[in-house]
Amino acid sequence: MEGRRIIYLLMILAVAVPVLFGVSQQPSRLVSAERMYDVVEGVSVRPGEVAMVWFDFGPGSIAENEPQATVLIEHLFRRRIPVVVISQYQQAEAFLRRIPEEVAARLERENPGQTWRYGEAWVNAGYKPGAAIYIQAMVNTPDVSKFLGRDVSGMPLTSYPAFSSIGGIEGVKMVGEVTSLVGVFDNIIQFFQKSGYRPTVVHGCTSITIPEAYIFLDSGQLNGLLEGIAGAAWYSEVLKKHFPKSDNQRLLVTNTALSMAHLMIILLIIAGNVAPLIGRVLRRMRG
Amino acid sequence: MDSVSTWSLVSTFIGGLGTLAIFSFLIKENRFYRFFEHLFIGVAAGLGPLLTVRDFLWPQIIEPMRGSNIVVYPDGTLSEAYQPLYLLYIVPMIFGCLYYFIYSRRHSWLATVVIGFSLGASGALAIRGFFAEVIPQLAGSFKPLVVMNAGEIAWGPSINNSIFVVTLLLVLNYFFFTFGKEGSLQGRVAPWGRPLLMVCFGAFFGSTVMARLTLLVERVQFLMGDWFSAVRSVVGLG
Repeated sequence: MEGRRIIYLLMILAVAVPVLFGVSQQPSRLVSAERMYDVVEGVSVRPGEVAMVWFDFGPGSIAENEPQATVLIEHLFRRRIPVVVISQYQQAEAFLRRIPEEVAARLERENPGQTWRYGEAWVNAGYKPGAAIYIQAMVNTPDVSKFLGRDVSGMPLTSYPAFSSIGGIEGVKMVGEVTSLVGVFDNIIQFFQKSGYRPTVVHGCTSITIPEAYIFLDSGQLNGLLEGIAGAAWYSEVLKKHFPKSDNQRLLVTNTALSMAHLMIILLIIAGNVAPLIGRVLRRMRG
Repeated sequence: MDSVSTWSLVSTFIGGLGTLAIFSFLIKENRFYRFFEHLFIGVAAGLGPLLTVRDFLWPQIIEPMRGSNIVVYPDGTLSEAYQPLYLLYIVPMIFGCLYYFIYSRRHSWLATVVIGFSLGASGALAIRGFFAEVIPQLAGSFKPLVVMNAGEIAWGPSINNSIFVVTLLLVLNYFFFTFGKEGSLQGRVAPWGRPLLMVCFGAFFGSTVMARLTLLVERVQFLMGDWFSAVRSVVGLG
């Protein structure tokens, strides 16, 4: 077997063993995720006001973005903040439907007697083409409910009492952007604001874009950041601390498997460097 | 089994096959991989226009123009009055369609009008976006080197800020290609920016590896969990 195939096999084993046996470790504490939890906790909405969460990811980054979107939606649902889920990216369409439905179902199982219904807890505004132009137009509209028009099932947003009177952009108290796409994220940073008003902005990014996202966190353009799967894992732990019934086992297994893969890479790098050295020493000893 | 769960089972089963097909490239290039690669590209390409028409063009443009979005309640009243002004949407739609004249040798100049308009609008948006994005970052980079907290030096933030400012200045200096001669202070300090850039590239590379591995973990979870259950159901063991 070629060397690279052995490496692939070792990597798959490193990942598969924790997944198979459900091994989970306590994730590392991430200050940025805690800060984001506090930011979301601090968002207050009056009747008519909402949070808007953009799911701008597709199958290529669900591994990190889906858990991030899930924990963010869970937190907003627990706080009973009405959420508009929306996307600039067509491949996110399936997640706009699935994630809020799954979170609502889980919360209802966890809290018998309480409900999180579509149209009350959230609406799905669907995929919106136009990117920056669309956001720019939304920011300038006097009535976001009318501007968004209809949800994916064809119902006007104005027919849902919780979402019928958002008013101008000032009615959107928090914007969440979960994406792996830097350009799409830039659209929110650049255009989702108007003179005298900028909502609280939180961001779930993939590991690749962490270094760039930190620039925005540092400059205050971002109020909260979830860094890859590790950020989602720690956020879920903070949620669990406040809501002990919250189930984050799968997320912790993912995070543990990732750590095992990192460990394997470190071992392979060490082995790859040490083996030639040992070989050279042995050759010299043999003369 | 209801139709929803059957559909879910089928999509999970195909999803697992697709994952294994793409992973088969690790062994070697093969037809199984090629087929699913093309399938994915085709689905991704087809999804965009479909969703644009279904979620935007039809409900937000065509229906208001036709008035077919107006609901007639049982008592005969309307959910909203018909707005003939929606018909004005035709003007930008026709203007946008001029782009297709790019395929005509005689009338391709009409397409350049649309392209010119798009370039102008995009340029204006880009300038606005640039300032909205970069100005706060410029302001954010003016950090105090000594941070005081309750009359005492806060060493942690002070060291952080100092590292930030030194890195910023050294990297900016590295990219001065216009003036500064060899032997001058600027010229002597310039190479110091390179190792700092290397640290940055290392961070980018490390985080890229982490993202790719997370994808691998997710796929392995999918294969060992959802897909395996789907396969068991398909073969009658589930």
